[in-house]
Amino acid sequence: MTKSKHFCVIVRVWRQAGPQEPGRMVSHKVQDVSPDMSFLEMLDILNDDLLKKGETPIAFESDCREGICGCCGLVVNGDVHGPDEHSTVCQLHMRRFKDGDVITVEPWRVKSFPVLKDLVVDRSSFDRLIAAGGFISVNTGAAQDANAIPIEKDKAEEAMDAAACIGCGACVVSCPNGAAMLFVGAKISQLALLPQGGPERAARALNMVQAMDKEGFGNCTNEYECEAVCPKDVKVANIARMNREFLLANLFSKR
Amino acid sequence: MKLDAQIPAGPIEKKWDSHKFNLKLVNPNNRRKYDVLIVGSGLAGASAAASLGELGYNVKVFTLHDSPRRAHSIAAQGGINAAKNYTNDGDSVWRLFHDTVKGGDYRAREANVYRLAQISNQIIDHCAAIGVPFGRDYSGLLANRSFGGAQVSRTFYTRGQTGQQLLLGAYSAMMRQVAAGTVTVLPRREMVDVVVKNGQARGLTVRNLLTGELESHSGHAVLLCTGGYANVFYLSTNAATCNVSAAWAAYKRGAGFANPCFTQIHPTCIPRSGEHQSKLTLMSESLRNDGRIWVPKAKGDKRPANDIPEAERDYFLERRYPAFGNLVPRDIASRAAKTVVDTGFGTGPTGQSVYLDFRDSIKRKGIENIRGEYGNLFDMYYQITDENGYKAPMRIYPAPHYTMGGLWVDYNLMTTVPGLFAMGEANFSDHGANRLGASALMQGLADGFFIAPSTVSGYLAAGKFEAVSSGDKEFTDSSRQVQERINRLLSVKGKKTPSELHRQLGNVMWNDVGMGRTEATLKKALKKIPEIREEFWNNIAVSGADKDFNQTLEKAMKVADFMEFAELFVKDALERKESCGGHFREESCTPEGEAKRDDAGFSHAAVWEYQGEGKEAALHKEALSFEHIKMAERSYK
Amino acid sequence: MDITFLKRLATTSIGRKALMAVSGLLLGGFMLVHLAENLLLFKGEAAYNGWVDLLASNPVTPLLEIGLLLIFIAHIITGVWVRVEDFLNAPSGYEARNWQGGRTIGSATMLYTAAAVLSYLTYHMLTFRFVDHSMGFYQMVTGAFRSRAFVVVYIAGSAALALHLSHGMQSAFQTLGLNHPKYTPLIKIGGILVAVLMTGFALISVYYLLGIDLKAAEAGYQVVIIR
Repeated sequence: MTKSKHFCVIVRVWRQAGPQEPGRMVSHKVQDVSPDMSFLEMLDILNDDLLKKGETPIAFESDCREGICGCCGLVVNGDVHGPDEHSTVCQLHMRRFKDGDVITVEPWRVKSFPVLKDLVVDRSSFDRLIAAGGFISVNTGAAQDANAIPIEKDKAEEAMDAAACIGCGACVVSCPNGAAMLFVGAKISQLALLPQGGPERAARALNMVQAMDKEGFGNCTNEYECEAVCPKDVKVANIARMNREFLLANLFSKR
Repeated sequence: MKLDAQIPAGPIEKKWDSHKFNLKLVNPNNRRKYDVLIVGSGLAGASAAASLGELGYNVKVFTLHDSPRRAHSIAAQGGINAAKNYTNDGDSVWRLFHDTVKGGDYRAREANVYRLAQISNQIIDHCAAIGVPFGRDYSGLLANRSFGGAQVSRTFYTRGQTGQQLLLGAYSAMMRQVAAGTVTVLPRREMVDVVVKNGQARGLTVRNLLTGELESHSGHAVLLCTGGYANVFYLSTNAATCNVSAAWAAYKRGAGFANPCFTQIHPTCIPRSGEHQSKLTLMSESLRNDGRIWVPKAKGDKRPANDIPEAERDYFLERRYPAFGNLVPRDIASRAAKTVVDTGFGTGPTGQSVYLDFRDSIKRKGIENIRGEYGNLFDMYYQITDENGYKAPMRIYPAPHYTMGGLWVDYNLMTTVPGLFAMGEANFSDHGANRLGASALMQGLADGFFIAPSTVSGYLAAGKFEAVSSGDKEFTDSSRQVQERINRLLSVKGKKTPSELHRQLGNVMWNDVGMGRTEATLKKALKKIPEIREEFWNNIAVSGADKDFNQTLEKAMKVADFMEFAELFVKDALERKESCGGHFREESCTPEGEAKRDDAGFSHAAVWEYQGEGKEAALHKEALSFEHIKMAERSYK
Repeated sequence: MDITFLKRLATTSIGRKALMAVSGLLLGGFMLVHLAENLLLFKGEAAYNGWVDLLASNPVTPLLEIGLLLIFIAHIITGVWVRVEDFLNAPSGYEARNWQGGRTIGSATMLYTAAAVLSYLTYHMLTFRFVDHSMGFYQMVTGAFRSRAFVVVYIAGSAALALHLSHGMQSAFQTLGLNHPKYTPLIKIGGILVAVLMTGFALISVYYLLGIDLKAAEAGYQVVIIR
């Protein structure tokens, strides 16, 4: 609650005019940074400064700024989503930094998420993965009473743990191989844990995994960097469950 | 403008069923010939796309985000109401209907609200079926909690992330239709205009945010599921891209705008910390189930909260509203907090907050249980404020959160422009002057999953449609007009950024049109807003090119619309001389300082009609009659 | 006949990794048997040579050898395939990039330890398998173990193998989907244990390098480890 002193930081940020343009790191000084400011609010101030100077502000994405929409995503000083554990970069606050710090800000650099401009990348591959099977095929109006199928509390909680994924893509970015295993594993897990997902279980595992490979995501080498950075603490046990679902579906289903 | 609410005849319980029966149907084989354009992919948009796609219509969904899953419905925390009565505490469709009408301070349409309460149960069934991992008891059955403004436990939840899980459910249902080929999602497209031809909404002009190109899309019906406009206050709990632009464009094309001044100020938000603040963060009001709200009894008491003895604390909600205590509806809780702060009892470094204290419930339930129920909220609070809510009370203050006002719609959720529908927060229909907690998710999904498929089909089946193409004059005119506005924004080359001007507007709105409004403050605002707007158009700085990915331009376009809309908002607030729900006119209150409605004068929806640039909007009124629920003073004492 | 499932096993990311995991686990098992065999050295020349002769004269042995070779090849192919893909896919171009907690030395060096093990294995085969065995296996092995250069290579090889298995064993279980809050901690400990056991190869060679067996014999002790 103490009124803290304002300070100054140098931001080294990736500037790239378009998907096909070359990019480079550019340094900017940001003055009058308050420790209570969020990291993105610091970038807002920088952008307003740039705009007033007639320069082009830095493009970056964010929307809810409360860590749930999954829009934001930056590599700050080499850390995916910044130095705080299990949080999105919009939740990073400037009290983490001190006067004179040089902060490098880079976009997510993975083949499957090409840079569109500055710090903005294209994550549309995630939507295609969900379209490949990340759903339960029940038409509106066809459902029975919600309490007709009791679900063991622990199972429901485990499904919720997996469902908490915000689709930010940090798992792919943190992965040494650019794999989307945690993202896909979380969805397959959620729907495999719930009895409602049962009828499509085998098809879902087969289709989503093959779609993931087609999108050019990497392989899993079980290094668990994804789990370490996931803002929602989604566990690699979900990857194991996906592996199991896929292998069992491949070997024992009729597909 | 003719306001025909199209409320079906018959007893209220039968209205929806008989209406569905009377609506015309489209033959399954013909459905794919109809193009439905949906703007927005939140709960309402995604669920409408899913249900209309399931029926076989050719659906296009436009979202300004990179992915439909980002829509701001995702940030709703607490839960979704349904009249299941699983807890056997006396809930029913009638009670949910009653609570919603009463909670909305008798400014909502009875027939719509009754339908919402009816559908609430189907929503839970459907969402459970499509894999929403609702919280459960050890029995394996669905768990419920109670929420502000209700005396029954009817709120279903998925931890503190109910909006996220419901949105992802609706999104997954929509993506299933994408795979099936009935729905096409066009991300990174911002709707900039509705195209009306021969009096029907027949298309959209959208801006491709990556390339800056204006695109024309034609269709047989247009659904605006574009959310609320709380960002007119600059600081709100809404996401950065939430805007009024889509609704405003529709308004300018002839859609009536209803009750723009009805805004909800949410009581449990994290207070602002300085000028730099870009948004306010809400913490679920479920916190009020276990947290006690208080301020020191002594004015300007600067002792740390824990050093203030029990006898010197004023639990002002419990004191003023013994029956509901900390669980009074949002508008009442917010206003009570404002009152204690305005009279000098506020806490924290700025004096602009009140305490939300878990000391007693931690003692009663144990810290582990509190952590289990609210852990994510405590973490969020810590992350933002660097303060530990387990050890000392959290500080909270109200913030603009939800807008009950919106495009006027009839019982079919169609605006005054035929073929132009508005769903979810974008319409005005169900919450009256105040929305109860956990009802927004219910409404968004009711509109999209269950109402749209019937009423949109009914419109398509009954309508006559000329062939249109994007080369038609109406389309090219629309694109040209939008382009002119963009050119104008780029040509100013001024000194103030869109954020600065937006903040200026927001300050006026919050100070003069915020939680308490008087004729004087409203008139002051009506004078200031045009000045800021003029400054905007003379001094806005927008760099970069038009045909490019240009976030500054996007922001400036949104702020430009807020600049116009704010004036209508204030006019509406000025016109409504009563206090009701979230609209508190200080002149209209009881001797105890509670809001006082004027049912004789204002039992209506105020619907504003655009008359052209620079002209005063025309006011129309839809009278509201209450046949089933007796109008009474809304008492939570 | 529909062999899509075989194709999927060979071509999908998870299928390939599963093949790699199964082959890896089998190879790990083989290494444990091999270590047990090496321990027979302590029982003396007769016991050791007897066991080797028994193996050599068994008609099934060549089949086992071929099987082992195939498993090796499968492990190498799937491993290289996965790694080449990953190499091409690896995020690159950062000015700064830190690992944030998942990576271990073992996991980060899998390809290098694999290369080291493969080189060592080749050397091992050239030294022991494709040579004249007329002097007897015991003499050949202990003789090699008395060469300092050989033991250095041998230690390096076992260390690489240990590092490889420190990640590989538990990783294989994860890849096959065997992850459970109750068992995974045990699996992880088990994996490390197997990795540590691999240093046994090195210890045995050091034992002979230092001539402890000779000194013990001089002193009249007979080392009996396995009865």
